[in-house]
Amino acid sequence: MTGSNRPRYTPIAPDLRARAHLLVADHLDVSAGVFAPGATLADFPERWGIVAHALVLPEPLPSAGVKHFRSSAHLLALLRHRLAAETMGLRIYAVGSEPFVWDVAKAATEAGMGRDEMQLFATGQPVRRVSCVHCRHINPDVTTTLVTCAGCGVALSVRDHFSRAHNTWMGVQCDAEIPGELPAVEDLSA
Amino acid sequence: MMDGQTLTLRVADAVLVAPGLRRLHLVAADGTRLPPAAPGAHITLTLPSGHNSYTLVSADPEAGYEVIVRLTPQSRGGSRHVHDTLAPGDVLPATVPHNLFALHSQAKKHLLIGGGIGVTPMLAFVAHLRLAHAPFELHHMAVSAEIGVFETLLDARPGERVHVHAGPPGVDLGALLAVQPLGTHVYTCGPSGLMNAVESAAAALGWPDSHVHREDFGASGGEPFMLRLAKSGIDIAVAADQTMLAAIEAAGVDTPSLCRGGACGVCLAPVLEGTPEHRDHYLTPAERASSRMVMPCVSRSQSATLVLDI
Repeated sequence: MTGSNRPRYTPIAPDLRARAHLLVADHLDVSAGVFAPGATLADFPERWGIVAHALVLPEPLPSAGVKHFRSSAHLLALLRHRLAAETMGLRIYAVGSEPFVWDVAKAATEAGMGRDEMQLFATGQPVRRVSCVHCRHINPDVTTTLVTCAGCGVALSVRDHFSRAHNTWMGVQCDAEIPGELPAVEDLSA
Repeated sequence: MMDGQTLTLRVADAVLVAPGLRRLHLVAADGTRLPPAAPGAHITLTLPSGHNSYTLVSADPEAGYEVIVRLTPQSRGGSRHVHDTLAPGDVLPATVPHNLFALHSQAKKHLLIGGGIGVTPMLAFVAHLRLAHAPFELHHMAVSAEIGVFETLLDARPGERVHVHAGPPGVDLGALLAVQPLGTHVYTCGPSGLMNAVESAAAALGWPDSHVHREDFGASGGEPFMLRLAKSGIDIAVAADQTMLAAIEAAGVDTPSLCRGGACGVCLAPVLEGTPEHRDHYLTPAERASSRMVMPCVSRSQSATLVLDI
């Protein structure tokens, strides 16, 4: 499609010039496929991952090493805390769903990190946050090209336009000209 | 040939702010507004001895531009002229301001490391950062005799982290850079030894290149060599205290230039024979290694003769 600004992801590799590395993922078993040739999990001794289980206890200050978090909200809150106390020389590597890796990118950007201090790699089935341009509601976990906006109820067509600032895709009413005339729904992974 | 639009400036005032440091206040000769310039910008003045680039200490379209010029003993004549001859009322051709040393708008903190006359962009930065209430820290290196001069120019306000150190060595750069919070950008201007030390200390601590900014003008001087301009068909002897660009201009060959400090890439010239000694900050390591291009504003020659295709 013309006008697409769809993010492209390249497999991650440790930046050898960095003083420290932090790998954050929204899952625990980071697969070999996310690493560039020559890189392995062992290159990232400090890893944060999400278990999504209530038995994981919130810890105020995760120490170096492998750390588990209860949810992405839990991880991102601690990440912001960690980055606020960090000094220059850190690189951050985010692996997981597209909304998650861009949440990490946002936290890093807000902490003053530039694009050359972070590497993002989206994995798994495509899932998008879709922002309705009419009511501004953000519809999470969208996996199809059409979605009914949970905010205002219109049928939204998911445009191939991604906002890196808002971490959302653009949703525009698709039957505004002829109400009720909808294109076929397609799965994003198709 | 100077690139870009030209200005005609009139010297409104010229004062000696300290021994060897003269501040020029420049306004438009026809009394009109001057183009605005962000902190870090420079202009190139055309003086009888050639073109010299100076950082703007302040730039206001109504009030005019201010530059501070140091009298250098090995001067090519530019600073000597500014100090001895230039007087209020004199008119000078100049380029419009160009900025190759801008503050980064997304920085969480600005760390300024200056040395000697490299204070000039720092003065513009400090004035801007104070108004913007942006976090900054400044360390300036000076010979002991001039510490008071720079303290007066920088005029630290209570609570500000503005320090003038006797140096070299001055401040411990490794220790200073190691404690900087994420999102800090460092800006350095001064002797090349200081700027190289800042760059290597930052690199050793894992700072990305995008957070390290430097500005140097006219790192001239070195071994004399012969320059042959193949298209123009002339041979020029480049003196030890002369830049290749100044030598080309002195020979009457019109060649484009802009920053004259190895940063912008406008004066890039193709090399036919010989090995350049690269001193610029524009070419990539691969381009340097190929020896097919050179920036005559700052670079010299490793070989006795260098042949350029101009």
